[in-house]
Amino acid sequence: MNQFSPQSFLAQRHAEISRRNFLYGLGASLGSLALTDLLAADQIAAASGADEAGPLAPKPAMTTPRAKNVIMLFMEGGPGHMDTFDPKPELNRLHKTESKSTRSLANGFKFFVGSPFKFNKVGQSGIEMCDQWKYLANPAVADELCNFRGCTAESLNHPEALFQMNTGSRLGSDPSVGSWATYGLGSENQNLPGYVVMTELAMPQGGSTNWSNGFLPAHFQGTRLRPEGSPILDLKSPEFKSRAHQRAFLDQLSFLNEQHAKKHPSHQDLAARMESYELAYRMQTEVPGVIDIGAEPEYIHEMYGLNEKETAAFGRQCLMARRLVEKGVRFVQIFSGGWDSHDYLERGHSARIKSVDKPMAALILDLKSRGMLDDTLVIWTGEFGRTPDNNKRGGVYSIGRGHNADAMTMLLAGGGVKGGTIVGGTNEIGSEAVDCVHPIRDLHVTLLHLLGLDDNKLTYLHAGRYKQLSQFGGEVIKEIIA
Amino acid sequence: MMRVICVALIVALFFTPQTSLADEKAERQFTLKVLPILTEKCFGCHGNDADDIKGDYSMLTRELLLKGGETGDEAVVPGKHNEGTLLPAIAWEDMEMPPKQTDRLTKEQIELIRDWVVNGAPWPSEQKQKTYRDEAKLEMSTDEGDIMITSGGTSDDWTYRRYKPEDMWAFRPMKKVELAAGQNPVDALIDQKLGEAGATAASEADPLTLVRRATFDLIGLPPTPEEVKQFKLTWNADPDMAWSELIDRLLESPHYGERWAQHYLDAARYADTAGYSNDYERSNMWRYRDYVIRAFNKDKPYDEFIIEQIAGDELWEQQSEGEKNPELLIATSFLRMGAWDPAMVKVPQARQMYVDDVVNSVGQTFLSTTMRCCKCHDHKFDPIPIKDYYRMYAAFAATQLAERPAPFLPEENLERFDTQKKQVKLLHKFAKDRVDRLVTKRENAAKKWYKENGKEYVTHNDRKNLPDEEKPPRHVGLDATDQGRLKVREQDVWVWNRRLERYQPMVQSVYNGPDPGYLNARKMRMPGQIKKTEMVSFIFNGGAVEAPGDKVQPGVISALGLPVEPKTETKQNGSEKDPYVIGSDINGRRLAVAKWIANPKNPLTARSFVNRIWQHHFGKPLAGNPNSFGAKGAKPTHPKLLDWLSVDFVENGWTIKRLHKQIMMSKAYRQTSEHPEMKSLLVKDPDNDLLAYFPTKRLTAEEIRDAMLRVTGELNPNGGGLPVMPEINMEVALQPRMIQFSIAPAYLPSREPEVRNRRSIYAYRVRGQADPFLEAFNQPNPNDSCEVRDVAAVSPQAFTLMNSDLMGDRAIAFALRLQKENDSLGSQIHSAFELAFGREPSEKEAEKTIEYVKSMQDYHQSVEPKPVTYPTQITRSLVEEFTGKPFEYEEILPVFEDYIADKKAADVDADTRALADLCLMLFNSNEFMYLY
Repeated sequence: MNQFSPQSFLAQRHAEISRRNFLYGLGASLGSLALTDLLAADQIAAASGADEAGPLAPKPAMTTPRAKNVIMLFMEGGPGHMDTFDPKPELNRLHKTESKSTRSLANGFKFFVGSPFKFNKVGQSGIEMCDQWKYLANPAVADELCNFRGCTAESLNHPEALFQMNTGSRLGSDPSVGSWATYGLGSENQNLPGYVVMTELAMPQGGSTNWSNGFLPAHFQGTRLRPEGSPILDLKSPEFKSRAHQRAFLDQLSFLNEQHAKKHPSHQDLAARMESYELAYRMQTEVPGVIDIGAEPEYIHEMYGLNEKETAAFGRQCLMARRLVEKGVRFVQIFSGGWDSHDYLERGHSARIKSVDKPMAALILDLKSRGMLDDTLVIWTGEFGRTPDNNKRGGVYSIGRGHNADAMTMLLAGGGVKGGTIVGGTNEIGSEAVDCVHPIRDLHVTLLHLLGLDDNKLTYLHAGRYKQLSQFGGEVIKEIIA
Repeated sequence: MMRVICVALIVALFFTPQTSLADEKAERQFTLKVLPILTEKCFGCHGNDADDIKGDYSMLTRELLLKGGETGDEAVVPGKHNEGTLLPAIAWEDMEMPPKQTDRLTKEQIELIRDWVVNGAPWPSEQKQKTYRDEAKLEMSTDEGDIMITSGGTSDDWTYRRYKPEDMWAFRPMKKVELAAGQNPVDALIDQKLGEAGATAASEADPLTLVRRATFDLIGLPPTPEEVKQFKLTWNADPDMAWSELIDRLLESPHYGERWAQHYLDAARYADTAGYSNDYERSNMWRYRDYVIRAFNKDKPYDEFIIEQIAGDELWEQQSEGEKNPELLIATSFLRMGAWDPAMVKVPQARQMYVDDVVNSVGQTFLSTTMRCCKCHDHKFDPIPIKDYYRMYAAFAATQLAERPAPFLPEENLERFDTQKKQVKLLHKFAKDRVDRLVTKRENAAKKWYKENGKEYVTHNDRKNLPDEEKPPRHVGLDATDQGRLKVREQDVWVWNRRLERYQPMVQSVYNGPDPGYLNARKMRMPGQIKKTEMVSFIFNGGAVEAPGDKVQPGVISALGLPVEPKTETKQNGSEKDPYVIGSDINGRRLAVAKWIANPKNPLTARSFVNRIWQHHFGKPLAGNPNSFGAKGAKPTHPKLLDWLSVDFVENGWTIKRLHKQIMMSKAYRQTSEHPEMKSLLVKDPDNDLLAYFPTKRLTAEEIRDAMLRVTGELNPNGGGLPVMPEINMEVALQPRMIQFSIAPAYLPSREPEVRNRRSIYAYRVRGQADPFLEAFNQPNPNDSCEVRDVAAVSPQAFTLMNSDLMGDRAIAFALRLQKENDSLGSQIHSAFELAFGREPSEKEAEKTIEYVKSMQDYHQSVEPKPVTYPTQITRSLVEEFTGKPFEYEEILPVFEDYIADKKAADVDADTRALADLCLMLFNSNEFMYLY
């Protein structure tokens, strides 16, 4: 597993050189380059044993993978587990009685909050969800879901908790899960980014740090497809420049670069940089193609909720996620905010559930019908869970919940996941996970494991230490794996 | 701890009965070599489990071991290796012991046990064994590695573990090797390694390459065509003199400090905001950025630079009233550099976040040491026990954050204060008016409620804690939209209030005192009176504040063997005082740490800094991990050279400009980036560790932008002052950016082009909103110290460089300059190459380029670009956090009321647009992007 061995500055250089070698393979777009160079590149590649491909070229998994791609649906703000998938009748009994819990940050009088929603057992498997989930409750969907209730976070603050769920570190400077996955496996499509992120118009708290490549090379950073305006910044030329104009520009640029390369035959990076322009040129047609969902049949539009105001935005992103994965993109992440219900819990959560329910169910059914669900791991999670109790606000019993790092809820489906199961559990009032308890790092390790990657071997030397996604290692959560 | 052991040892030796030297040797051998083998290989079955002793043979004491087991045969006869059953058994000649193949003793182990038998099988007492072991621990260097003396880890295993000597290079004293008189140290030591590897250095680069290399290197800008011409002329007369004069001229340029401050700020993590969810403005950070630039320009000795940044406020307190130097307080903004926000975090944890960040930052920046590794446990790889981490932690534990008054210095640039203040006040008033309006609406409704309920009106603040039935509903009179808007406007008022502090003579600084009871990064001030406190610090085992362990004194890293000065008066536990500990007064702790770091004998400090300077000259450091010199960091390629330069740097007063020149005058720095034997070198030395040729560099993000502005003639060379707001991608500037409870105000570019076109180091740096152009070119995230910037060529860079508005604007500005300064298309193209590349186009290039521009002239005749407009107001929509209801509000963008935009495609004719296509292409070319 050459590419996963501890990387040194040297090995990273080799990767640069081998990328260059890959580019020679492409030939056509690069014009003429000195033959001596080509030979030198071959020798180096042979000497270093580096693989003959670009940084995003597909790489073999370390172990038999259960999933090839990941679609992560990130519910920013922290959905309440007791108001979605983890019923707590005890809370309804205690509703509005005093809570003496000292876990949350808030001081002063606290009272328990019962969930405003009723819960049902759904599907053959009888997994539980609140009655707001209309589409997810469809047995064909519900029986694909694994509800994991044992995960614990560390931070009670949104950005740190987001950073931890996305990068394994609360500090927000390490590579994100998607970057590690792309670093480990490359991507199947060289004309698209390997790791794509979709957000609402407003970025989540902490912004692009959530999909940063951290200390990994920039090839592995998440590319954000923006929901409005240009999907990728500056993807399109100004309107007065035609495609032919751009081709002429690139050809002339290529001429200048070739003249330059003749004077600097040993310079390793010139060809790679030229190729990045050709890739950009190809992406300019490829990306709008993926984004253009007009070509999808009407029943698909209907299924994903594109015809309804409440579900259209998230539905469009779910549909795009399916299209991206179909095209070979390794890791897709969608951020959907508004789950931070400190008050007006019933209204807030029911609106949020409504906005994601239909699109999520459609995504799972659609992946299933295309035979893609077996290879695609779908994860639905927030950055933490919510407290069983709340503070008075302005002297009023406000029906909402605080942040809770000790308990949360998530759904997993597809790629190697045991569908129709509930794994782990929280205590009677949902204040903490008590059964099959695992920190976020174990979830990360499990996710890599399903992709056929070993967290302990997927390392990168940074700041004097071999870094890994889990920071210090973790364990696979076997219970959720089929 | 070492000292305690020594004392115990002397006592033990003193009372031990005389033993002959030979006996003692055998006893020592048994204790250190034989007993461990028996313990590992035999005792498991023969003694440890008293209920199950295999073969009824216990080996736990000498007597039992000699006696043997159930067979009744003697196992060992002292002095007789041909007798007894043990030796044949372990040699697998008779019985086979240990029975497992994988457990068999090695030849050496069998030999050791045989010798022991021959020497009479001595078995010293437990006490003597301990003495021998303790003595062995003190044997500093063995073939198993070196012991590093530290203040002691949490276990003896850690304290007495051995390190590979080559891993500990940075913790050992620096040595300056003797060089022949007149030798350039850089060349002497690089040539030495080249010679050992059977390689030769590349030849000298041509003058154009050299003048570009040196100019970008020292000032981060390209040389002008005139400067190139002038340099070539003087070079032809006397290359050495020309080169020396060029370096001197560049080092005197005010742009020198701008360039090298940027490198430093990468490590220090400069930003104008505090990060995390609020991303509060740090209103006066720009003064620190200018302090760093000034320090480089004035060639402030590096030791002073360190001391001021770590302990400037303590020095300031020592200065008498009227003689206080504000520079000292400005310097301490270094201690405010990390992302930090105590929102939603309890005070002790928030304080830990801060102190941990500072300790780690000081370690990385000045000592190239990763302190964070020992926050929870003794360092896994380096000789830094958790105790030393918490000693350093204690040294910063009394450091509290505050904005402090510090008068402006004459050398600070106070331009634009009036105009900027005016705009901020406008924005502040807009938000405040709306807050007031909504509050009035609410209070009117409240008054109505009180009246209807026959009660006397109570103000909003006063009624907060009243029981529900005695007051109106909490958002009385406000619908969901009003509630949302009120929250947004209240946040805006805070944002603009903080921004107004930019124009105050204040600075993001620190003071010494007890932890405040309440922390909010929105406003941090010094208390009027600082309570006198004893501050006791603890080791937090596992890094948990909730679980304080042993007490620690403030102190420094002990493994360097460098004591703190002045020595403390306090004695520890009544015994000898520890040389690495600082007094317990809360004042003076940081000064002691700073002086210890800046001590000429500190082996990490000078090496760390010289390595960074070298890194930015050669594009690669001598020691591959500039933030981490520990066992896991890359070893220096030229240790002798790093040491020589470091010692010399210290001996010559820590002056930085001298170091630059010393490096740049070398032959190695003047080499070409090609080599006649490149093919074999790439195989033999793929990283160019030998420096057989000059490493190529891609321009950094800031260099790309600044160089373009210089080439187009737009660059405003003025230095210092308020952050400037270059135009950034307009979609990003106006897109909503979530902050706690609200959306941050839009990014507003500066109104005048000359303000926007200042150098990139002066650009406003927001943690939550990177400039997408600079970010695409790997400007590092300021949340983390950056030791080496990434340079990967990725397609978003191509999109930005080809398609962005700001590149379009630069290209048109460049084209207009060319047209203004040249008449014919031929001379415009000629001049374009000279300005962008410092050279004339070749005949072929000129010919093909004219052809291209002409065809573009035809193209542009047929198109009509649309004029660009800027919005003066935008509508935002947001979901109110608590009500879950969406609402809209208006945001004003006053700068666009009378904005002076750059010339756009629609403002110029087809010929200019065609020429601009070429200009854009030159900026996209590899020749512009790389340095040789």
